[in-house]
Amino acid sequence: MTRIIFILKELGRSLYRHPGTVVTSLLSTTLLILLFNLFWVVVGTSERFYENLLSEMTMDVFLNEELPDSSLSDLSEEIKNAEGVLSVLYISKEDARRELMHQLGTDLLVGYDSLNPLPRSYSLTFETKYMNLADIAEIAGKLQTLPGVMEVSYSRGWLEKVENTKSIILEIGLVLGVIIFLSALISTANNIRLMTRTRVVGFQQMLLLGAGRMFISLPFFIEGFLIGGLSAVLSWLAVFYGYDRVTFTRFEVVIPALNEIYLFCLATALLGGISGYLGVRKLLK
Amino acid sequence: MTGPIVELKDVFLRNDRGGHVFRDLNLTIEAGRSAVITGAAGSGKTSLAELLIGVRFAESGLVILFDEVMKRGKKRIIKRVRKKIGGVGGVFGLLPSLTVAENITLPMVISGVRKKIQQERLLKLLSEFSLLKQAGEYPPNLTRVESYLVQFARASIAGQPLIIIDEPSAGLDRKTYERIFEYLVKVSLSGRSMIILTSEIPSQQIPETDYYQIENGALV
Repeated sequence: MTRIIFILKELGRSLYRHPGTVVTSLLSTTLLILLFNLFWVVVGTSERFYENLLSEMTMDVFLNEELPDSSLSDLSEEIKNAEGVLSVLYISKEDARRELMHQLGTDLLVGYDSLNPLPRSYSLTFETKYMNLADIAEIAGKLQTLPGVMEVSYSRGWLEKVENTKSIILEIGLVLGVIIFLSALISTANNIRLMTRTRVVGFQQMLLLGAGRMFISLPFFIEGFLIGGLSAVLSWLAVFYGYDRVTFTRFEVVIPALNEIYLFCLATALLGGISGYLGVRKLLK
Repeated sequence: MTGPIVELKDVFLRNDRGGHVFRDLNLTIEAGRSAVITGAAGSGKTSLAELLIGVRFAESGLVILFDEVMKRGKKRIIKRVRKKIGGVGGVFGLLPSLTVAENITLPMVISGVRKKIQQERLLKLLSEFSLLKQAGEYPPNLTRVESYLVQFARASIAGQPLIIIDEPSAGLDRKTYERIFEYLVKVSLSGRSMIILTSEIPSQQIPETDYYQIENGALV
């Protein structure tokens, strides 16, 4: 118990004697973590944005002219049973003509009622987990081999762009995350080292009296833990403050789940603690 | 504890210039006995203190304290041995960020002794060394003599079986020296051991004490 009281007193002494360094450390770490948080929100938001875009994506399966109408129900069933297919909508020649007229604003086939060249087709939607280039291409390949299918068409180029953009954002997020976390770690360690540099003589005396390295460095572990944890909490409060005041109409801003945020704050506090420990460890050699 | 608490066997210690500080240094101190080791400035008195507390390590030979061999890298052993040693002067100093009272009780805090026992012993030592008024002061505000007395109090509080004193008379006025000397006699009679490293032989005899001199890196 006396050891715990001493460690807490040492912690208090350190915070009381270096308020400037503590505040600087807290603010700089908060800013660094805020950057990370914002990027986390951007990644989540873009993921949701792409999910919404992808949910509108359809695949058109065009049918041969020679395929008799009597075979349509079998083919439709076969397409419905294909892995990943969520819904199948049959589009007759007349439906296609109406859609074309709707899109162009004029009916190009006036006077050619019996010669409608537009093919019959199925319009497909997919389950969310299959909404990626590899799965969609695989489904398209399988459908292409079905008897009576003339062509399978989907926005391959668009899908490629979406996936590339997503992976770029994730890669940048990963690199940025590592850089920011390392910066926060080094910044806290350096600040604590600065605060403790004047106390090296004291540390040496404590070692001569038989104190262990853990006993000496524990107050600084706790200090780093508090700075890291508090910075994480402050940075998330800043994010929530901004979230409450900014409204986006084009897309929905996605904030990570609360349990993820709690875990993040705990991890940041632990990292802060480790950096606090590392800050004094060198001085104890 | 019976038997030797300090054993130095054929210790060889190099200095920074490539020569030697100690060559075939041998010393045995039995529990309850003390040693006064004299030597000129630069003869290696402080190096001897550093060897005993594991700040420096012998190139060859053995340094054994409380039946534990002091070797580089044996952190647990060094920590255990240091808890049994009280130090005054030389490498031993006070922590500037702690008050006099906190400095004195620090060895007990490190060992996890209960607060009540700490306070009882602290009060006794503060009055014994006339430091009651200075209990709340910080070391930079103390005079040299006061600082020295605080170190003596700290070296005694946990009942450390061995006290290493580097230059006990350095810069002390006659009155304080006599008080310190009384204290040394008292410690010696209490059955604890001391190693007193000094430039001049004390004018009065300390009971249960052997006298040595460092010459050419060996004890004679």
